[in-house]
Amino acid sequence: SNSLTFCLLQFSLSFGIQDDHKLSASELEEKYGTSINKGLSSSRAAEILARDGPNSLTPPKATPEIVKFLKQMVGGFSILLWIGAVFSWISFGIQFAQGAESPFDNLYLGVVLALVVILTGIFAYYQEAKSTNIMASFSKMIPQQALVIRDAEKKELPAEQLVVGDIVEIKGGDRIPADIRLISAQGCKVDNSSLTGESEPQSRSCDFTHENPLETKNIAFYSTTCVEGTATGIVINTGDRTVIGRIASLASGVGNEKTPIAIEIEHFVYLVAGVAISIGVLFFIISVSMRYKILDSIIFLIGIIVANVPEGLLATVTVSLSLTAKRMAKKNCLVKNLEAVETLGSTSIICSDKTGTLTQNRMTVAHLWFDNQIYSADTSEDQTTQPFDQSSPSWTALSKIVTLCNRAEFRPGQENLPIMKRVVVGDASETALLKFAEVILGDVMSIRAQNKKVAEIPFNSTNKFQLSIHETDDPNDKRFLLVMKGAPERILERCSTIMINGKEEPLDSEKAEAFQTAYMELGGMGERVLGFCHLYLPENEFPDTYPFDTDSMNFPTSNLCFVGLLSMIDPPRSTVPDAVSKCRSAGIKVIMVTGDHPITAKAIAKSVGIISATSETVEDIAKRLNIPVEQVNRREATAAVVNGMELKDMSLQQLDDILCNHSEIVFARTSPQQKLIIVEGCQRQGAVVAVTGDGVNDSPALKKADIGIAMGIAGSDAAKNAADMVLLDDNFASIVTGVEEGRLIFDNLKKTIAYTLTKNIAELCPFLIYIIASIPMPIGTITILFIDLGTDIIPSVALAYEKAESDIMNRRPRNKKKDRLVNEQLAVYSYLQIGIIQSVGAFVTYFTVYAEQGFLPSTLLGVRVDWENNAINDFEDSYGQEWTKYQRMYLQWTGYTAFFVSITIQQVADLIIRKTRRNSIFQQGLFRNKVIWVGIFSQIGIALILSYGLGHVTALNFIPLRFQYWFVAVPFAILIWVYDEVRKLFIRRYPGSWWDKNMYY
Amino acid sequence: SEPGMELNAASPGGKRPENKDEEKVQDPNTGEAETKAEMGNKTWADLAGEMKTFLWNPEERTCLGRTAKSWGLILLFYFVFYTCLAGMFAFCMYVMLLTLSPYTPTYRDRVSPPGVMIRPYLNGFTIAFNISKRSTWQPYVDSMHHFLAAYDDKVQEEKNIECISGQYFIQGGNESEEKKACQFKRSLLQNCSGIEDQTFGYSRGQPCILLKMNRIIGYRPGAGVPVSVDCKVQKGNESDLRSVDFYPGNGTFDLMYYPYYGKITHVNYTSPLVAMHFTDVKRNSLVPIQCSLHGKGIVNDVNSDRFLGRIIFMLSIGK
Repeated sequence: SNSLTFCLLQFSLSFGIQDDHKLSASELEEKYGTSINKGLSSSRAAEILARDGPNSLTPPKATPEIVKFLKQMVGGFSILLWIGAVFSWISFGIQFAQGAESPFDNLYLGVVLALVVILTGIFAYYQEAKSTNIMASFSKMIPQQALVIRDAEKKELPAEQLVVGDIVEIKGGDRIPADIRLISAQGCKVDNSSLTGESEPQSRSCDFTHENPLETKNIAFYSTTCVEGTATGIVINTGDRTVIGRIASLASGVGNEKTPIAIEIEHFVYLVAGVAISIGVLFFIISVSMRYKILDSIIFLIGIIVANVPEGLLATVTVSLSLTAKRMAKKNCLVKNLEAVETLGSTSIICSDKTGTLTQNRMTVAHLWFDNQIYSADTSEDQTTQPFDQSSPSWTALSKIVTLCNRAEFRPGQENLPIMKRVVVGDASETALLKFAEVILGDVMSIRAQNKKVAEIPFNSTNKFQLSIHETDDPNDKRFLLVMKGAPERILERCSTIMINGKEEPLDSEKAEAFQTAYMELGGMGERVLGFCHLYLPENEFPDTYPFDTDSMNFPTSNLCFVGLLSMIDPPRSTVPDAVSKCRSAGIKVIMVTGDHPITAKAIAKSVGIISATSETVEDIAKRLNIPVEQVNRREATAAVVNGMELKDMSLQQLDDILCNHSEIVFARTSPQQKLIIVEGCQRQGAVVAVTGDGVNDSPALKKADIGIAMGIAGSDAAKNAADMVLLDDNFASIVTGVEEGRLIFDNLKKTIAYTLTKNIAELCPFLIYIIASIPMPIGTITILFIDLGTDIIPSVALAYEKAESDIMNRRPRNKKKDRLVNEQLAVYSYLQIGIIQSVGAFVTYFTVYAEQGFLPSTLLGVRVDWENNAINDFEDSYGQEWTKYQRMYLQWTGYTAFFVSITIQQVADLIIRKTRRNSIFQQGLFRNKVIWVGIFSQIGIALILSYGLGHVTALNFIPLRFQYWFVAVPFAILIWVYDEVRKLFIRRYPGSWWDKNMYY
Repeated sequence: SEPGMELNAASPGGKRPENKDEEKVQDPNTGEAETKAEMGNKTWADLAGEMKTFLWNPEERTCLGRTAKSWGLILLFYFVFYTCLAGMFAFCMYVMLLTLSPYTPTYRDRVSPPGVMIRPYLNGFTIAFNISKRSTWQPYVDSMHHFLAAYDDKVQEEKNIECISGQYFIQGGNESEEKKACQFKRSLLQNCSGIEDQTFGYSRGQPCILLKMNRIIGYRPGAGVPVSVDCKVQKGNESDLRSVDFYPGNGTFDLMYYPYYGKITHVNYTSPLVAMHFTDVKRNSLVPIQCSLHGKGIVNDVNSDRFLGRIIFMLSIGK
């Protein structure tokens, strides 16, 4: 209850439960016009339902589909392409009006450009919708039923139909169907973790215990769970008016930050668009000043834009991200927002919950103390035996108490399940003890049956003990056995002897001291300690027929024999320590944020490595040096355990100080609201913060975080809604595999973009040279689109499958501001080096094709005007032959195809070199990534189909190409490969050199 | 109880910082200035300042983010890089050009079968004039004279030899040897030679138009039978074009002018012509005329290429 948030308070005060918790049952009946015995009438209920609406949370207001769709239509490069399309149509209009001969080319080009935008838009929209749908199906839950009294009858109704004033009955295991004011309760406990994040069950009764409606015991909240007991209550709030509904709407008010990858892609789009527009405008001016017609200049401008814009790239990025998302889903990270895939990779701080994420979320016996000795128990997830020494008769006695003094039971029908997985009815400690006993002794239920229970006092907070009296399973021993467990100091008070090696010995001060030491030690490990004692009741005083009465306690409850201590903890998941150390080497700071007690939190932090074995907190140093805490040099302490109470009084400056100066931090006893403050503190340090959470109150923090991670099993729907990612197995270790995938995809996207950008130059140069040197057009606009959206798509996706070059988990998270996705080196290397080589290679092919047909390069320079003149049909080539216009056009299209094929062939080399940025291709392995080969074959396959299959469709401008022209650019492809190997060799040989700085992207 | 007290203690003091946080969430401009700056929320003044420092940073003495030395190095690198690349380009082109024959192109599949052109050619395929207005037809006449200058009988006799009519003039021997060309005298065009009628019939409304088959190296048109020419109205009334005379012969290209050996060795080659004398064409209207080649191997019905084996032009003769 201490972790209720301020926002909760504000809301409850302002809207609220008003004062329903203070009213008596009859006042409530009057207020809501209902009857506790008969409930509402069906007709009245229907009226209220019509007034208030169904009892369900309104899902967060979704962006209308059409808006989402239109966003895709204008995002990224789409605007540039729309401009291109509009220009095409304008020039079509002008040409058409002037009655030019072939104006329809421009009309088609405009249509094609528009189609490209629309299709890529539809694709992106579809991808987004698909990932949203995964989530939608995930959050759909089985409709909940509620037991309601209406028309004086008990009815099972869907919880959605509940209305204010309904009388509902709840029992252990139910989810509370609405906010309910209890009017009767028997041993009712609720788990408010979905509301507060704290999993300790809280008892509920019909008494008004607190002014604050959130604190009082007679109100149970919507979406929390009834753990045990039964209760009846009046529904006082439904749907969005419930406390949880209000918090959910609060969470939706916290804005989502742009993801790092979105920022990177935006940066990249600006860069490419900037290049496209400046080159376009520059050449527009050049062509106008070269006395080209304005209309022609506009057409050049369109060509330059189309050549510069990597039309397929954004789709490729989406596909790559969704491939990674799929891979992550297999590893139990379900990503809701595709871009979050990469965010995880750039994460520099993880704020993790303790319960359930770092730990197994179940109490387990960790240590035992008997015979003056501490024994450790196995706390792993799948224990089947316990290795500690069980030969002592004291253990036999202790195990009997553990078995008998326990009300927890396995649900029937689970005999085939491993013990650790069985469902138990009972509280957390009793469950732990039951399982512990079952593992060591076997069938606990039959042992209990053999030792028949004759009397029992259940645990209560006044006594702080639990007691039961049993017949023994020894037929010769007619004594009754009294067994008791409880808070160790209370149990010890009631004992006069202590069992050592099976013998009762008087409990002297020395033995009491030993007990204290052990108790302190176990408690210091953050464990919950229970004491166990027993007494065999003398047969003469307590014969067979003795009437035990638990109210008058007509049996001894003091001078018992102390047997031992058992301590329990929610142990860390076995995979977590490894995961934490991986985070450490990956430069990710793991901060534990928990509502638990600092000692427990610290113990778990130590055992999983969040606080490493050698580091000390200020308090530790003070204790070691035996000086007051204030005198300790705070800089010496690498670790810090911060209590929520301290945090509350801290200024932002102080919090920043702690976050900055300590590498190992645990926040204990924090409220989920403070989690938000911690997340913001981390973000002020410039960190990319991942936050895990499961409670409804975590949702603001989850939204605020750069990446919110909700728990798939324990998490509430609100948390899952607010999160970017859902951990299906609630396991911290899964986050680390997610980080690895995220880092890999960042590297691979870099490669994809470098690959895609390279050929833009090879597409652009033809236009520039066409304008300046007036040669016949080397490549057509439509042909360019076939590269960007045809041959290049599969290879660029294939790079997403590339394995990491080195251990990506051994380097620091990327710096948001410095390590850009597309940096200067990448652009320069792709544009000015590889891109230029490609252009040269393609031009060699182009000139070869023309020369072998009779147009030597020298003849081609400056021929543009005559070449394109429709009236000249006896155009003379270098040999004196004469060509008609159409024959020249056919040759020009052959040139397009040759240019296209050359780019494709060189893109194969480009694809291979992009597999690595630093290592040699031979270190990386040419064949390890099979998908690359799929890419290469698809690329060549598509080129073959376009040239030979569609070579007769005139509109596409492809021509069946002579076989040898496929190989003209091969030397340049080899040059690209060799040059890049040399580049990488120098980078590896001379790290930090001028070469490294300028050539490594 | 204990937890309750804790909460009570927490609520009054705790509310204020909470409110502050909420404000921050809603107002993106406060705090996190650095991260926001990256996202382009900068003012224009900031941007201009940044741009200026980027262009010239006096502190670090850098221009566009590089020092003079750095610029020197990078420019040197690109100079060397592009020089090497240019060298490779030149080498590849050189090797490619080595593989070419200077006399015959490697492939001639795109230029054959032959296309057709007409003379006079001014700036289109519409020949329109008024008989009475000399200025309307004089440019055509000038164009014809200019074109036929190379066909003057004297020039032809001087440069070219007389060949045997009716068979291909095949010249064996070395490819690089100069080839002889056959005489095509202007006088062969008779009424359209422009010798007797200096106006090629334009002054009488009976214009001559010369038809020329595109040159293709090694091409032997007609496969032994001379290619002939005919003309008809392309679209419209057949009777608009009542009579056409063809010279020389009956409008055929004599075989002896073929094959062509290319402009290096066949220096004096003059393309044979067929003159079409439109002696009776409907006056005062635009008559579309299609003249086609006929012969084996000649293609004249491709839709996409309207100059392949045929030509379409307009005649408009006014008074």
